[in-house]
Amino acid sequence: MSVAASRSRIDVKGLRKTFAAPNGGGGREVLAVDNASFTIGDGEFVALLGPSGCGKSTILNMVATLITPNGGAIAVDGQPVVPGRPMRQVGYVFQKDTLFPWRTVEDNIGYALELAKVPVEERRQRVAEAIRLAGLEGFAKFYPFSLSGGMRQRVSLMRTLITQPEILLMDEPFGALDTHTKLDMHSVLLSLWEKTRQTVLFVTHDLGEALTLSDRVILMSARPGRVKDDFRIDFPRPRNAVALRETPEYANLFQRIWHSLGEEFAKSHGAQEAS
Amino acid sequence: MSRRRATTLLWQLAIGVGFLVYWQYAWDLHDKVPWLVPELFDPYFVSKPSDIFAQFLHLGCLQTVKGEWTLPGSAGFAACMSKSENNLWAATYFTLVNTLWGFAWGVSIGFALGLLLGRSDRLSEIFYPYITAFNSVPRIALAPIIILAFGIGDASKIVTALLVVVFLVFFNTFEGARSVDRDHINAARLLGASEWQVTRTVIMPSTMAWLFASLTPAVSFALIGVIVGEFIGAEHGIGRMIIEAEARGEASGMMVAVFVLATVGTILSAGVLKLQRWLLRWRPAEQRQT
Repeated sequence: MSVAASRSRIDVKGLRKTFAAPNGGGGREVLAVDNASFTIGDGEFVALLGPSGCGKSTILNMVATLITPNGGAIAVDGQPVVPGRPMRQVGYVFQKDTLFPWRTVEDNIGYALELAKVPVEERRQRVAEAIRLAGLEGFAKFYPFSLSGGMRQRVSLMRTLITQPEILLMDEPFGALDTHTKLDMHSVLLSLWEKTRQTVLFVTHDLGEALTLSDRVILMSARPGRVKDDFRIDFPRPRNAVALRETPEYANLFQRIWHSLGEEFAKSHGAQEAS
Repeated sequence: MSRRRATTLLWQLAIGVGFLVYWQYAWDLHDKVPWLVPELFDPYFVSKPSDIFAQFLHLGCLQTVKGEWTLPGSAGFAACMSKSENNLWAATYFTLVNTLWGFAWGVSIGFALGLLLGRSDRLSEIFYPYITAFNSVPRIALAPIIILAFGIGDASKIVTALLVVVFLVFFNTFEGARSVDRDHINAARLLGASEWQVTRTVIMPSTMAWLFASLTPAVSFALIGVIVGEFIGAEHGIGRMIIEAEARGEASGMMVAVFVLATVGTILSAGVLKLQRWLLRWRPAEQRQT
């Protein structure tokens, strides 16, 4: 297979993470991620899918150096990941709105270039290009508070993409958006990604979203998170986020994975009832 | 103008005029209806509007004692200004300048300390008892000591104002620095920010919002600090003008000073409020004043 032959960019082996149980918990620990392993090849768009609380975001945040693992190993481009030391080639898009409220749209998007001391003229051009790509023309001077949720998430996306990261980590970036805005964002992301083809690790609990966007879906079990299954999504590209959902192939695959995912949702629901 | 607004304005005008008329003429009725005009309205204590206005013209070098007009630009005005070193204009100028310096220093130092301690658990732990102890001292109580240490010149007024302002700003900044959104810091780090860049581009602007909220009270506090300093010992300033008038038993002089202070205070607050609104323009309008 061509993907397996290409060089791997993210290697996760035997990853483990425990958290202190909430409300004191009497020193008990909760196992959030247990022995998770997977490899992501260059240029792959991989969705990490699982029920809420399965530890998928925790895995992503460990790859992003935001959380320190309790065991196992993570390597990005063969380099072991050191907690607290973000890697230059990695970009991250948050689930939560983390735009700087005191910066305008253009200053948010240009933030990373400002940090890197990119000359003003070049910065202006690249920011203008990013604004055009995200369909945010006319909003350059707006402050985040006056934008809609969808627009804010576009700004967020461009703030990360402007650094041209080779590896993109996304933590349910469209989780807070309504269905239509979400579909709209899928189109934006597809059209951007199909041009640049970065390596993407995309966390989501939305199966439709995972199928629309990715080349591969890694299915996580309910807590403690383990890799349960690994599906290849072979829909041709470029994809149309809306039309794709109406094809029989989509429906078939959806049903197959849905069954497996459903078992995990049931488990995580049962666990919540019990606790 | 809406009907409601017009009614409000009318009421405000009526109350203001009514008060001035009462102040001017009520004392004449004191002997007949003492219950309506209490002892406090004796012009010896509170003067009356006409006297206060005359005193204003006199202290402001606009009219001689004989009632001759000496408007700015005339020889009489210049002569009066050079003769009296604490005339109304000079006094206002010194009080205003010292207030602004005390405000600027107090805000700068309060912000720097608040940021430093707010971002360092270790330092805030160590200094906690001292800050609490110092904060419980009414700052004004230190004014005589400051005059003793810094002399009766401008420095002591600036230091008094600074001390009054610094804690207010410090506590606001401290709270602000502690409540910086972790995700904003993470976002900046992941976009390649160094420690210093995180401080400069995330912690400082996000703390500024808290600092700005303290600016309006801070400028009023600074004015109080300067006036108290001038009461205790000064070469010039509005506070000194009040003390001088008191020594002469001249209520009208004190009242002129009070009116000037009210004007200065209003202008300062309005200016800072305007600045604060502009600095916080990135917030939804209803949150700009918090």
